[in-house]
Amino acid sequence: MPGRQLIMTFPVTATSHTLADYLARGGYGALAKALTMAPPDITKEVTASGLLGHGGAAFPVGRKWGVVRLNDNQPHFLCANADEGEPGTFKDRWILEHAPHLLLESMLITCRALQVRNCFVYIRGEFDLPYRRLAAAVEEAYAAGYFGERVLGQDFACDIVVVRGAGSYVCGEASGLLSSVEGKRGYPRNRPPRLTVKGLFQMPTVVNNVETLSNVAGIITMGADEFKKVGVAKSPGTQLVSISGHVSRPGVYEVEYGYPLKKFLFDDCGGIPGGGSLKCIIPGGISTKVLTAAEIESLTYDKTSLEAAGSQLGSGGMIAIAEGTCMVRLLQVMLRFYHHESCGQCTPCREGMGWMHRIIDRIVDGKGVPEDIERLYAISKLNDGTTICGMGDAAGYATVGILNKYRDEFEYFIEHKHSKLGGNLEVPVHA
Amino acid sequence: MKHLIPEFEQWKKRFPPGFDSAMVMLCVRRIQDDRGFVADSDVGDLAAYLGVPRIQIEEVLSYYTQFRRKPIGRWHVQTCRNVSCSMRSAEKLIDHLAKKIGVAPGNTTADGRFTLSTVECLGSCGTAPVVMVNDTYHENMSIEKLDELLEGLK
Amino acid sequence: MPEIFINGQPVQAQADETVLQAALRNGFYIPYFCWHKSLSIHGNCRICGVQPEGKNWVEIACNMPVAEGMRVLTDSDIVREHRKATLQFITLNHPVDCGICDKAGECTLQDYHFEYNGERSISIEPKVTSTKYVELSSRIVLDNERCILCTRCVRFTREISKSNALGVKHRGDESLVRPSDDGAFETDVYSDNVVDLCPVGALLSRSFLQKARVWYLKPTPSVCPGCARGCSIDVWHRKDEWKLRALDAKQNTSVARVTPRDNPAVNGPWICNKGRDLAQVFERARAELPMLKGKPSDLAAAVEAARRLVAAAKKPAALVSSWGSNEELAAFAAALGGRFATFVKADHVAAPGETVEDDLLVRADKNPNTTAARALFGDAPVRFAEGTDLVLVWGEGFDFAALPRGAKLIFLNSYLQPENGHADVFLPVSIQTERSGRYTNFAGVVSAFEACFPKGAAVADAEALFALIAPATGPRG
Repeated sequence: MPGRQLIMTFPVTATSHTLADYLARGGYGALAKALTMAPPDITKEVTASGLLGHGGAAFPVGRKWGVVRLNDNQPHFLCANADEGEPGTFKDRWILEHAPHLLLESMLITCRALQVRNCFVYIRGEFDLPYRRLAAAVEEAYAAGYFGERVLGQDFACDIVVVRGAGSYVCGEASGLLSSVEGKRGYPRNRPPRLTVKGLFQMPTVVNNVETLSNVAGIITMGADEFKKVGVAKSPGTQLVSISGHVSRPGVYEVEYGYPLKKFLFDDCGGIPGGGSLKCIIPGGISTKVLTAAEIESLTYDKTSLEAAGSQLGSGGMIAIAEGTCMVRLLQVMLRFYHHESCGQCTPCREGMGWMHRIIDRIVDGKGVPEDIERLYAISKLNDGTTICGMGDAAGYATVGILNKYRDEFEYFIEHKHSKLGGNLEVPVHA
Repeated sequence: MKHLIPEFEQWKKRFPPGFDSAMVMLCVRRIQDDRGFVADSDVGDLAAYLGVPRIQIEEVLSYYTQFRRKPIGRWHVQTCRNVSCSMRSAEKLIDHLAKKIGVAPGNTTADGRFTLSTVECLGSCGTAPVVMVNDTYHENMSIEKLDELLEGLK
Repeated sequence: MPEIFINGQPVQAQADETVLQAALRNGFYIPYFCWHKSLSIHGNCRICGVQPEGKNWVEIACNMPVAEGMRVLTDSDIVREHRKATLQFITLNHPVDCGICDKAGECTLQDYHFEYNGERSISIEPKVTSTKYVELSSRIVLDNERCILCTRCVRFTREISKSNALGVKHRGDESLVRPSDDGAFETDVYSDNVVDLCPVGALLSRSFLQKARVWYLKPTPSVCPGCARGCSIDVWHRKDEWKLRALDAKQNTSVARVTPRDNPAVNGPWICNKGRDLAQVFERARAELPMLKGKPSDLAAAVEAARRLVAAAKKPAALVSSWGSNEELAAFAAALGGRFATFVKADHVAAPGETVEDDLLVRADKNPNTTAARALFGDAPVRFAEGTDLVLVWGEGFDFAALPRGAKLIFLNSYLQPENGHADVFLPVSIQTERSGRYTNFAGVVSAFEACFPKGAAVADAEALFALIAPATGPRG
């Protein structure tokens, strides 16, 4: 186990996602407790816990909630972000498939804190089994009186709707998500105004990641002080890490913040299969900058450590890349993705993603020229901080991260018209 | 789509009042699950039912990759081509599928049995490579497992 | 009233303004494509980026609410680099169509490229191509390659004309402006405003398509006579110094196009499609010759004949034109008003299928000056008194079957009509584009129009004619 566990605290069985099993684990006790607390006190507890967002931005949750003005005579909304589109990320899926009631209970507590009458879960359209598990859990919860006009028989009403997406990465961006919930294209929006001021249909809305919300029940049960004992100072608690790529035991692990990264990769996840060595990792979804094997040597898995190394926690979607992998081809796959997913609203991303994709396709085709590297840098820079949402920036970070550390592979490819490493992406098999 | 309206009316109960536009994603998916695609007549009917401009529905249908306005093959074979899957031989799978099924990605077989697509990350990277057939994820795929899978899809 | 600082200079902003609005109002130009004062903010073009003092990035000014003490730079190196970069992106796949594009000469992208970029593209990729002649309706054509997806046109149909006839389909750099499948754009009577809104040559008027280069044309301020709203318009026609000497001389006196002239008191920045089609109204076949009972005459003889008829008439009635200008109507009142039983005529009524009235601009009264006419002559319905022996009809729209038996007819008209030849005296008169004057709209707002063209040799101004045909002894009794 990579440290203490807060969420993956039970064995997954054929029924562990059901209400009966959840209740047997002490489920919905936190909700009962929260209903005895005044709404501002719930937010105070979450703020005190130091809980950070687990969707990618690591924004302090209590601070986000605090922007919503209570008793302001207008509806408030809560949306759980279950879009999980960041490549490499599949950890919210674990919660949806195995602990949907943990999410639902946490959402009810959050609704109580923020005076939310109607809440939503936005789940990516491709997640069919997770959707069915969640939808079944919702019906169980309604039947048991956890949703409806009188939650737990008390003077607190709450309804929930699960909205399914239909194939758009930017619907994982909070404002794109709300555009989709509103029944339109998943177009992200400019800020101001913040979504906590004008969000869903221009009403104050909190959008939180599934895992982020799923921590709330535990925080209410154990209290902020106990929660802070897990993890490290600037990163309290744990992170569900989805690890994939060239690793022997890919999957979802709950990693206590502060846990040594190398230990996680080589002990808990079994290191590189086939006897290979680690080249680099993508720490948290492809939009985070790669870290070489040397750079992660003494890193711990937490916000401060990763940022000091020039990267980020991101979405918790870690990808291990073995020596022998062609980074040019890897970037090509990424740029193809960003190009496909650009919503098309703003100039730098709409034109820039296509442009970068075409450049790297040309390089991989053997028709690259030396200036292409500077072009990729320039386009990345022109997308940094100039776009409506963070996707332009993300593509830039991914590109710059790889170019900075593996420029030689690009120069080689351009000069020799083929990859230094045989264009290899798959696990190299060592004799 | 009018026969689905009683179902839609039930869903409305859990939405706040005035949120009819928020029903679009749910209704479109239900219509598509029912018919196999969203017909031109469905667009006008749904717009009228929800009281939204029909251009909104048309935009939604064109924007999201999972919505379609034309029928496709009985089995929609969708292979992830993103990072982790590519690092676990997805490209070989795609080539194999194209040869085996006999159409390039983005196309449907003449007999209407298969439509082959390449898709972006499905959120199943730990069990890469992943192939999604209609609504079901098939994880940890290999060429052998793919052949077996295709055999079973009539 | 928050005080902000633009390039170090204090500016008094308004409470709910954005930095862009405050800057423009105070003479600091910030470029913009997608922003428009009458539409919601989209903030997609990014070219209005300004630098907050002390930071090393830009933020879009169109969506930046002013705050007391805020300090921004609109012309720093960082801002200039940002504008250049934005233009690199916008022109990345933009076709170099200037040589064949109608918008050349009034194209925001051309202007900004010249002002802020002026450099060749750093891309070596072939340009992405797209559809180049998409008929959005019988009136508007769209070139998607030129389109920069500013969405002004889409927002217009959503927020102003409310036809919801346009949208953006697909996504990324495959996004395309497209009309709704039901062809609602065809029946959007405000559709042509998107041509003005479009900052590039993507949306074009099919009737103006490749007719004339805009730098050969000049806009003359005028007023649309299509209804009682009296929208302010510009009538575009060939500049004097660019008169054609070869080719068809008629091109020198034809209306190339009509566009709105921004008037917050009447129509804002919009007009309806009827106003766009005014050439079809103005350029109908003209009556050029005075006639006496259908026989061509000269103006002096016709005027004299009319004067005698007026002098001899015992019970004259007149139907004045609701297309007459304030000045013409006043001249009629002064010269002939006391003598004639005068009624106001509705020269035009709504044609079959024409929008009668709506919430935006269109008024049911299809005449520009009913208000001034009624102010002078009342609003009684036309009724010829017993014994009416002379009827003076001024302008179109009179049903000549209603002419009292035995009454003489003086007819002042601009257009060829069979009835011109039936009149005892027929006098051809000038139209709005051949003189200046004013109309009073339904709400009492007075707007002026100016002359664009000279009138025909034997065509008279109605204003002058009324005094000429009034008998020398002055009004009777």
